[in-house]
Amino acid sequence: MAEDVVFVPVRRLGALIRERRLSPVALAETFLDRLERLGPRYNAVVTVTRARAREQARRAEAEIAAGRYRGPLHGIPYGAKDLLATSGGIPTTWGAAPFKDRVFDFDATAIRKLEEAGAVLCAKLAMVELAGGMGYRQPNAAFTGPGVNPWSRDAWSGGSSSGSGSAVAAGLVPFAIGSETWGSILSPAGNCGVAGLRPTYGRVSRHGAMALCWTLDKLGPLALTADDCGLVLEAIAGRDPADPTTVDRPFRHEAAASAGGRFRFGVLRGVTDGCEEAVRENFERSLGVLREIGTVEEVALADLPYDDITRTILFAEAASAFEDLIESGAIRGLTAPEDHYTPYARDAILAKDYLKALRLRGVMAREADRALAPLHALVAPGRASEAARLTGEVRSAIRGTARDVMGAIGNGAGLPAVAVPNGFGARGLPTSLQFMGRAWEEPTVLAAARAYQSRTDWHERHPADLT
Amino acid sequence: MSEPEVIRAEVEAMLALVRERYGSRLAPEELEGVRTAIEGIVQAAHALRAVRLTNADEPGQPFAAYRADP
Repeated sequence: MAEDVVFVPVRRLGALIRERRLSPVALAETFLDRLERLGPRYNAVVTVTRARAREQARRAEAEIAAGRYRGPLHGIPYGAKDLLATSGGIPTTWGAAPFKDRVFDFDATAIRKLEEAGAVLCAKLAMVELAGGMGYRQPNAAFTGPGVNPWSRDAWSGGSSSGSGSAVAAGLVPFAIGSETWGSILSPAGNCGVAGLRPTYGRVSRHGAMALCWTLDKLGPLALTADDCGLVLEAIAGRDPADPTTVDRPFRHEAAASAGGRFRFGVLRGVTDGCEEAVRENFERSLGVLREIGTVEEVALADLPYDDITRTILFAEAASAFEDLIESGAIRGLTAPEDHYTPYARDAILAKDYLKALRLRGVMAREADRALAPLHALVAPGRASEAARLTGEVRSAIRGTARDVMGAIGNGAGLPAVAVPNGFGARGLPTSLQFMGRAWEEPTVLAAARAYQSRTDWHERHPADLT
Repeated sequence: MSEPEVIRAEVEAMLALVRERYGSRLAPEELEGVRTAIEGIVQAAHALRAVRLTNADEPGQPFAAYRADP
């Protein structure tokens, strides 16, 4: 099959498959070949799931030929961050050397739902070890090596869903599943110039996903467009008895076409403080586009220690989730040297401080909802800077070396956000724009992002040298 | 004591705890890395403690009673 199916959005691929102008088997072979040939260049892949992909693709082809079309993901290849359990002897490594041979005998709910939607699992994708929860400071923090950015091989692809970002950006899969505790979907999406959707906490079941922080972890899609993210979210969203944090709130992407006319956007006061100059310029230009489809107003929030709230919750829960690994000293087996000792510091978190953070989370959630209630979305740069150099230190709000009020609030309060590319920085790497909404307002933030992407072409630009 | 002195003292106390528990497996430069991380944790804790809450401010993640079906 010609490679002209690469960088074609999921919606279009789905239409071609439905019309039987595109074979799911041939499509899977194209992406399996690219994953095996190009994946190592970007350290993007842990396991190419060729046998499972071929079986699923053949089944999709037969079903569609028989008139049993499941929907827009039927026959579409994808990759999953390697913290989602997969059966059939496929390893699930969590990006960490101590688990590189570990195999589960069941599929995570998100994997199962995608199978029910007819999607074709082609790869388990690389990630920062343990989703970055041990305090890594630089890109070389996975047993598969540092995630390499398809836009520049001396730049990082992001973290912690590194492979999910780079695989979509390099045309190795049409979409991928990532996870975010704080920044791990929006960051690789922004660094790699693709769309990434962080759903509302409780929208997508985490059953079968590695737990880093029980009250912060979310699963969501990365794809070429915000529209594609919506298609994927519709397949993986929903109540799951195996994950008691999920709720029964149906999500239909097709209903997210518009906000009924003009949008009302907010910008947090000082949100670009600390951003690189090019990031600020691209954001200002993006606001110009948004003013064509709505209004933009400055928003002030109450003075609360937003970053400290979410950081304290994250550190405490991660230390508990990986207590055995830390206490046993097995963290010595991790790749990043700083992951060998940083977690011991978390013994310094007092129970009452963790509880204070949880209580303040409620205040933060109410304050964020108050600010968001009259708006369709808060908008901000997706990242404060271009991707870090592979040999450099990663600035991180989690470690306190950068500020990220949007990320602290969005993750601490469990709010949905979508990031889309909005230009390039001084080193020629992508920058991004994020839309964050009230809880359960994925349709609204997706509508806004789609409206932005309908007026820009950043998402239609792709890295060179991908053959 | 001033606020910075309080924080410094708390950092040293917490570092002593970590040294007692895990010191045998940490090189001196690693222990310095732990100190840096503890400084961030203690500063965050002080920022949280500085915010007054009311008795009615519950944790944002409520506990739910459990009962297996039926």
